[in-house]
Amino acid sequence: MTEKSSALPGITLVIGSGSVKCAAVLGVAKVLAEAGIGIDRVVGCSAGAIFAGLIAQRPDLDQARDATINLWTKELTSKRDNKALLSAMAPKLMGFNAGSFGLRSDKLVNQRLRHVYGDLRIEDMPVPLHITATDFSNGELVEITRGPVWKAIRASIAIPFAFSPFEIEGRQLVDGFVSDPLPISVAIKNGARVIVAIGFESPLQERITSAGRFAFQLSSLLSNNLLRARFAFNSVAHHSEVITIVPEFSQRIRLFDTAKMPYIIEAGAEAAREQIDYLRRLLASEQGAASAGSQVRSVA
Amino acid sequence: MEITISAIESTTIVVVEGSVDSFTANQLAEAFDDVIKGGCTRLIADLGAVDYTSSAGLRSLLITLKDARKLGGDLRLAAMRPAVQRVMSLSGFTGIFNIYDDVPAALASYNAG
Repeated sequence: MTEKSSALPGITLVIGSGSVKCAAVLGVAKVLAEAGIGIDRVVGCSAGAIFAGLIAQRPDLDQARDATINLWTKELTSKRDNKALLSAMAPKLMGFNAGSFGLRSDKLVNQRLRHVYGDLRIEDMPVPLHITATDFSNGELVEITRGPVWKAIRASIAIPFAFSPFEIEGRQLVDGFVSDPLPISVAIKNGARVIVAIGFESPLQERITSAGRFAFQLSSLLSNNLLRARFAFNSVAHHSEVITIVPEFSQRIRLFDTAKMPYIIEAGAEAAREQIDYLRRLLASEQGAASAGSQVRSVA
Repeated sequence: MEITISAIESTTIVVVEGSVDSFTANQLAEAFDDVIKGGCTRLIADLGAVDYTSSAGLRSLLITLKDARKLGGDLRLAAMRPAVQRVMSLSGFTGIFNIYDDVPAALASYNAG
């Protein structure tokens, strides 16, 4: 899928948080592949990590779509964790453990992630993979570049209040969006030149009729402000080019609207098609600059 | 990318056509720089015919904004298309630029203040 069919340099793909909307990246990957543009590295955050984990395997795109449809269903968050609820309401009586606090049971999500990603390890992926999460003790962005893929994704999707933090190498990790909803900085730090970033603002609640929706609204407001701040900084800081792909959805996409996945994927493809000519010219010029640089070095 | 420059009283209107990206961002920044060096710091970028801006485009707009404001002027953006609006919004640039629906509204804002 992401094999390069030309000598053009590849891009680094960054997939931000955005629940099922992140499926749009499958459309982006399809358009890149058709244009002969390879993916040299993929960075994923939150739901974007689910797709990053698939794209890094260079899968058949239809299989990737089906895997996500089976993984991402409403049942994931349907089972309450009553013990966590009681511990939140009566911490002195029940005891409160931050490391295991999540109002939804994570048994099913863990099971499904293991099923989709099996024993795959990040360091063995055909395309270098970086999954981001957030250190719950200090807010630091954590870049996971080794270990089981499913565990890294589980940490990256540890939605505050819904799923408990997840421990990796002694650190309690929560959702990647808490530190950066579109972690372009990880691509920059790893030497990427041309970065294709696909990101989404968190949807706001239509009506706030419960404490849960209240919490989601606050979380979306904070996350959207963080997204803008980080994106602005990274755009200005990067020495080369960040091409942002923001698919336009005329239909409202809810958290688990997997039935709309074909529509979402096509929206991603459409948005990518608008950039593909520019991207090809840019990569060709990067290639020219790189070969000029190597000639200078060889003369020196 | 095509750039057309015109002036109405003490305001310079820069009409931009095409994409503001890695290949064209310097051209745009230089065009604004020439205008500023010529003594005009009340600037309007008419983006009605701009179909896309990348990070390089954002950087060129930001450089011009800083240069103009340093000298007591401003760079005001007008007539952004939805695709440009989305990138500007996602990047938080809508919070630091003064943005107007069209050029007459941007002109009126200078005349008002």
